[in-house]
Amino acid sequence: MTMNERKTIDLEQGWEFMQKGITKVKNILEGLPEQQFSSEDRIMLYTTIYNMCTQKPPHDYSQQLYEKYRESFDEYITSTVLPSLGEKHDEFMLRELVKRWANHKLMVRWLSRFFYYLDRYFIARRSLPPLNEVGLTRFRELVYQNLNGKVRDAVISLIDQEREGEQIDRSLLKNVLDIFVEIGMGQMYCYEGDFEATMLKDTAAYYSRKATSWILQDSCPDYMLKAEDCLKREKDRVSYYLHSSSEPKLLEKVQHELLSVYATQLLEKEHSGCHALLRDDKVEDLSRMFRLFSKIPRGLDPISSIFKQHVTAEGTALVKQAEDAASNKKADKRDVLGMQEQVFVRKVIELHDKYLAYVNDCFQNHSLFHKALKEAFEVFCNKGVAGSSTAELLATFCDNILKKGGSEKLSDEAIEETLEKVVKLLAYISDKDLFAEFYRKKLARRLLFDKSANDDHERSILTKLKQQCGGQFTSKMEGMVTDLTLARENQTSFEEYLSNNPNANPGIDLSVTVLTTGFWPSYKSFDLNLPAEMVKCVEVFRDFYETKTKHRKLTWIYSLGTCNLIGKFEPKTMELIVTTYQASALLLFNSSDRLSYSEIMTQLNLSDDDVVRLLHSLSGLKYKILNKEPNTKTIAPTDYFEFNSKFTNKMRRIKIPLPPVDEKKKVIEDVDKDRRYAIDASIVRTMKSRKVLGHQQLVLECVEQLGRKFKPDFKAIKKRIEDLITRDYLERDKDNPNIFRYLA
Amino acid sequence: MHKLGRGHRDKIQQFITITGASEKVALQALKASDWHLEGALDVFYSQPQIRSFTDTRHLEELYNRYKDPYSDMILADGITLLCNDLQVDPQDIVMLVVSWHMKAATMCEFSKQEFIGGLQAVGIDSLEKFRERITFMRSELKDEHKFREIYNFAFGWAKEKGQKSLALDTAIGMWQLLFAEKHWPLVDHWCQFLQARHNKAISRDTWSQLLEFARTIDPALSNYDAEGAWPYLIDEFVEYLYENGIIQKDDYSQKQ
Repeated sequence: MTMNERKTIDLEQGWEFMQKGITKVKNILEGLPEQQFSSEDRIMLYTTIYNMCTQKPPHDYSQQLYEKYRESFDEYITSTVLPSLGEKHDEFMLRELVKRWANHKLMVRWLSRFFYYLDRYFIARRSLPPLNEVGLTRFRELVYQNLNGKVRDAVISLIDQEREGEQIDRSLLKNVLDIFVEIGMGQMYCYEGDFEATMLKDTAAYYSRKATSWILQDSCPDYMLKAEDCLKREKDRVSYYLHSSSEPKLLEKVQHELLSVYATQLLEKEHSGCHALLRDDKVEDLSRMFRLFSKIPRGLDPISSIFKQHVTAEGTALVKQAEDAASNKKADKRDVLGMQEQVFVRKVIELHDKYLAYVNDCFQNHSLFHKALKEAFEVFCNKGVAGSSTAELLATFCDNILKKGGSEKLSDEAIEETLEKVVKLLAYISDKDLFAEFYRKKLARRLLFDKSANDDHERSILTKLKQQCGGQFTSKMEGMVTDLTLARENQTSFEEYLSNNPNANPGIDLSVTVLTTGFWPSYKSFDLNLPAEMVKCVEVFRDFYETKTKHRKLTWIYSLGTCNLIGKFEPKTMELIVTTYQASALLLFNSSDRLSYSEIMTQLNLSDDDVVRLLHSLSGLKYKILNKEPNTKTIAPTDYFEFNSKFTNKMRRIKIPLPPVDEKKKVIEDVDKDRRYAIDASIVRTMKSRKVLGHQQLVLECVEQLGRKFKPDFKAIKKRIEDLITRDYLERDKDNPNIFRYLA
Repeated sequence: MHKLGRGHRDKIQQFITITGASEKVALQALKASDWHLEGALDVFYSQPQIRSFTDTRHLEELYNRYKDPYSDMILADGITLLCNDLQVDPQDIVMLVVSWHMKAATMCEFSKQEFIGGLQAVGIDSLEKFRERITFMRSELKDEHKFREIYNFAFGWAKEKGQKSLALDTAIGMWQLLFAEKHWPLVDHWCQFLQARHNKAISRDTWSQLLEFARTIDPALSNYDAEGAWPYLIDEFVEYLYENGIIQKDDYSQKQ
């Protein structure tokens, strides 16, 4: 009831009271002597507003008070704030601004408390901007709008001063920039539009100026040091006083001006650019280069391409070096030539180690650089040295490591490690099938002539090859190694058989290695006319074998056999270790003392090449078991041979080597033939599923399918396609000769 | 006749001269092909119902005149006689066209069926008509479409029975004959190239693709694409042309 009897307050009277309160706030803000607000004061002010808003119309002054509230700010700003800001400049203005903004926020807080009742009903009901917002907006419209240009310029000039190394008041800048953020009231457009855009532009201009002079006066490493330093300092700047959202934009600008713009000029600086850094092994600078350029879009492309060029050049130089060495040593002995090749592979491995380390460390394992390394190695690894392909060299290299008494003397760990690296290099070789064939030939020699130094290493490299190239690649080689184990067991049971059947014993110790045809390289079989003594052996073994297995056919490869003969020479009796070929030739002289070349040839049933080779080994300078007539160095079809009963040697047991036939040509031919089948199969497989396909796609598909084994030459594919057309597997489309159809 | 314009009347006249058909047939055929002489000739020869009547008895007589005394076929001697009668050199390319019409399986041989069927199909029943027709047959080589058919026919016709490919000498002879007709400036280089570098028989694919090559690739090779599906022999021929400086290299190297 008392409420209703409350005395109506008219506007002027009420406002006068409010004004006093507001003036008091102002005085406090201006630092004038004034008493603090007591809680009664505040309650009174609030109550006045409450009363004035709750009176019955027409005495409800809500609207008027809302306006008065705003006007109070306007009045204060125009009368006090703006003049005080106007008389100050630069840093002082900034300080004043910070102070004024703080005061303003305080004032908004005070006043919005006094007028709080407006917020609760009047504003809420009419959806008007709330008191707090009205207060801040006044500052924005009257102060910020007028001054932001000046403020921004002042800030930027301070930043530039700092960039030049001067000390500045960072917290001041931080406060000023906070105004830009706060004034947006939750949105960033003031900061971004009124400050950041210009700041970025200025930054770009600043660094553009710097870069222009640095690029001329500094070396590439110095320039990169500076650039890295600048980037670091700009990043710090953001953390000190810029808004965190500016970081990527700011760094992007700096990177662009310092790096992108001068990338080519910088990387190709003649005495200190990327080439020079690689040449001089400047690992740290290269790492820095990677760090800097990895941040700019496509920045690593030129570096990886320079890296690739560099590695290619280094590798090609190795090839050339090996090539020169080979041609210089041509006149010398063959195994010296072998050494050269060995050295070459070693060097290639070292080169790979070195640059793989670069990729892993300097270039942080980046895929672009792995690719560059791979492409570079592919270039020179497929060149070949002195008529041998790298595939062959690698196979020979492995052989040297794996065979007994090879040129490499290494510990087990070192062998493992080296094999691992060879297998890695193999990835760059396009003729993997050629490697496989050479490797198989050499493996066969190691296994059959008991030259393999260590079974574990043999198996370990096969495991590595399997991982790298797939099971198909190594299945034959694995088969070979297993075959040999089985052959040993077989030999044991043969010996058992002989002791159980004494009358079957041929009187000669015989050891037979039974192998699976498909796994091993192909050899000539049944070519030699065996001496009668040995024919018996063969028969005995055949009988034994038939007791063990049925439906298996034994094919004898005499060219791989070894015999131990007792030679009764006049000075002393000696044991001769010879091949089956040589033994057969020598045994001929048991029945006749003197034989002509052609007699030997017909009795042995061998080709000219073979006969010349083995007679040369038996009548040569070192082991002259046969005397030749006439006594010349070369073997002619008209020569006669006689047993040299005077022959002797200081050893009791001698091994007479038979130089192996150069198998290179045959290996290459075999591989070529296999490739033809592989291409045919790939074409037919593709066409069978696609039915109709354009020439280009077909060729690409084949290359794709066969790439794991070898790199087919386009011409070879074309020839195979034409051959398949002739064989009616394919036809050309009647209207478009570029399209093939599968004929099922 | 009076209703027709001068141009049409000329065409009818030409048609009659070429085919020996009646005026009525000529009119019919020309109308059917919208007054294209070539088209009308095609219509005339491909549709038996409007072909002029041929007397099988005459054909039988003609066949017997050339028939080999010991087998039921016309062999080399018979063909020589036929050529004499037609006043044509046996080496003349027109004999290839004749064989093509007869769908002859092999060179220098006509079976009875080929001979009679072939002549019937083109409406010849006497030596006179045959002789008259020779000019037209020669002109058929000018027709690109027919030339291609004849060209592709020539491969099977010229190769040895039972072989898949064509002996190089024969192939070269045929090419010189055929490309003398359809001018291709590189033919001599092609033949030299084959003798120098290839010296093996020619596959059907290479044979037929060569015509495509001659037809579509200009003699300066400006539109040759090394990535295309040309048989490798043709690719190698192109390399040979550049290597021997027969075609200037500059344009080629840009493409490489």
